[in-house]
Amino acid sequence: MTASPTAPAVVAALEVEHVSRWYGNVVAVNDISFGLGGGVTGLLGPNGAGKSTLLHLMAGLLAPSAGRVLVEGASAWRRPEMYRHVGLVPERETVHGFLTGREFAALNARLQGVADPAGAAARAIATVDLTEAADRPIGTYSKGMRQRAKLAGALVHEPRILLLDEPFNGMDPRQRLHMMTLLRSMAAEGRTILFSSHILEEVERLADSVLVVYAGRLAAAGDFRSIRRLMTDRPHTFTVRSSDDRRLAAALMADASVFGAELVSGHVAIRTADYDAFTRALPRVARDGGVTLFEVRPTDDSLESVFSYLVRR
Amino acid sequence: MTVMTPLIEVTLRGLLGRRRTILLALLAGLPVLIALLIRVSGGRPDADRILDTLVVRTVMPLVALIVGTAAIGSEIEDGTAVYLIIKPIARWRIAAAKILVAAGLTAVMVIPAVVLTSLLLGRNDMTTTLVGFTVACFVGGSAYAAAFVALSLFTTRALLLGLAYVLIWEGVLSGLLEGTKFLSIRQATLGLAAALGVDVPGEPLAAGVSVAVLATVLVGAFALATWRLARFEIRGGD
Repeated sequence: MTASPTAPAVVAALEVEHVSRWYGNVVAVNDISFGLGGGVTGLLGPNGAGKSTLLHLMAGLLAPSAGRVLVEGASAWRRPEMYRHVGLVPERETVHGFLTGREFAALNARLQGVADPAGAAARAIATVDLTEAADRPIGTYSKGMRQRAKLAGALVHEPRILLLDEPFNGMDPRQRLHMMTLLRSMAAEGRTILFSSHILEEVERLADSVLVVYAGRLAAAGDFRSIRRLMTDRPHTFTVRSSDDRRLAAALMADASVFGAELVSGHVAIRTADYDAFTRALPRVARDGGVTLFEVRPTDDSLESVFSYLVRR
Repeated sequence: MTVMTPLIEVTLRGLLGRRRTILLALLAGLPVLIALLIRVSGGRPDADRILDTLVVRTVMPLVALIVGTAAIGSEIEDGTAVYLIIKPIARWRIAAAKILVAAGLTAVMVIPAVVLTSLLLGRNDMTTTLVGFTVACFVGGSAYAAAFVALSLFTTRALLLGLAYVLIWEGVLSGLLEGTKFLSIRQATLGLAAALGVDVPGEPLAAGVSVAVLATVLVGAFALATWRLARFEIRGGD
């Protein structure tokens, strides 16, 4: 398709093109490509997957070892002027402890060159619901309050792109809900919001689309529901201990949800492709066979195994 | 200047924590205290000797080292530097603000010590001592501070390396190896003081060489700090 001369080509807010980043022999990010426009995107992955490195690459805090990162069509690396439109909430907790929340927000506004720093700071402080504690030194803040102070600092210049590294760390459920509502409303205004998390439920509740990163690679990208389906439909393994493992294994093999049952010393290892159907069938099969269940335990339900499955897929 | 002001303010507030301020004041007060003791005990007043050995050789580089390596080094170490880096500010402005604060604070600590020591121990030529050392310490202290600011952008061990430079290179080697004098900020500071009429022991560097060395350090440190800041990377947590 060729763009007409009168219609400017639509530029994705953030474009990551075959980006890799390594430190010596360690590859932190491995040939990742994607583009992001308006809305909330969750960057999901276990700790150490490369989420922070990827966010820092997008924030212009790291140079790609290969590939390129574009923010609104221009390189993110060594381009300070892009920060007029980009806000970042880093993962690291440290904020100038000797400043009050209001002073910190005002400092950010002044460094951004905002016309009315005090007004911008007051608005940002109110937006993140920190007004009551705004005049206390940040050194006295709880972890959740620091997170909100950091967010206030990132919002003072009303950025078009907002990058947040594990923003919900240390927040209580009420603060978390408030932050989610806030981010959703900002996304509704057309901003591009990317936040990282290692908690599936956070991403599920907030993100329109998801990038799943595992071991430095992009394991999956797209609409959250389709990725969730992939995660749910993958093969699952359960360990079951019962009063008669042999009879239970034989009975379960007759059920459509089960495609493998193995007698191991002291328990049965069961493989299923349908998590929901199996968990519904198991008690029924056990009851019909007169078997008492002592323990039912999913053995591969950690996020690690989910991500690992997505990468192998 | 609008962006420089908050940069300077936050750097100053960060640097003037209670412990660091007390340490700096104690360091700067040392020559004054010794001058006072000499004065009270009726010892031979020799401001030039005290200012040379205590201020130029010890207090000034140490104050500049503490202030210079912390001006941005402490922000890099505790992670708050990211809030400066992610701003639409030309990197030379950040470098300039950090060097200005470090040099200014060094001067604020060292110059009163020079003045008070000169007043307490000065002889007939007190004005020469006062002016010579004040100017030399202002320029020399600024050069030290700028060099240490730049150093802290290249290594997390700036304090240790700076200390090694002051104590080992300047304290021992540049005295033994005559040809390396021009690589010493201390020797250039003393050379400048000598050019302004101060009685400096040994053979000080020529006035032109001293000025060139100090100017090169100042400009070079500023250029290096700017260059480094433009490429400064902050790693993610994973």
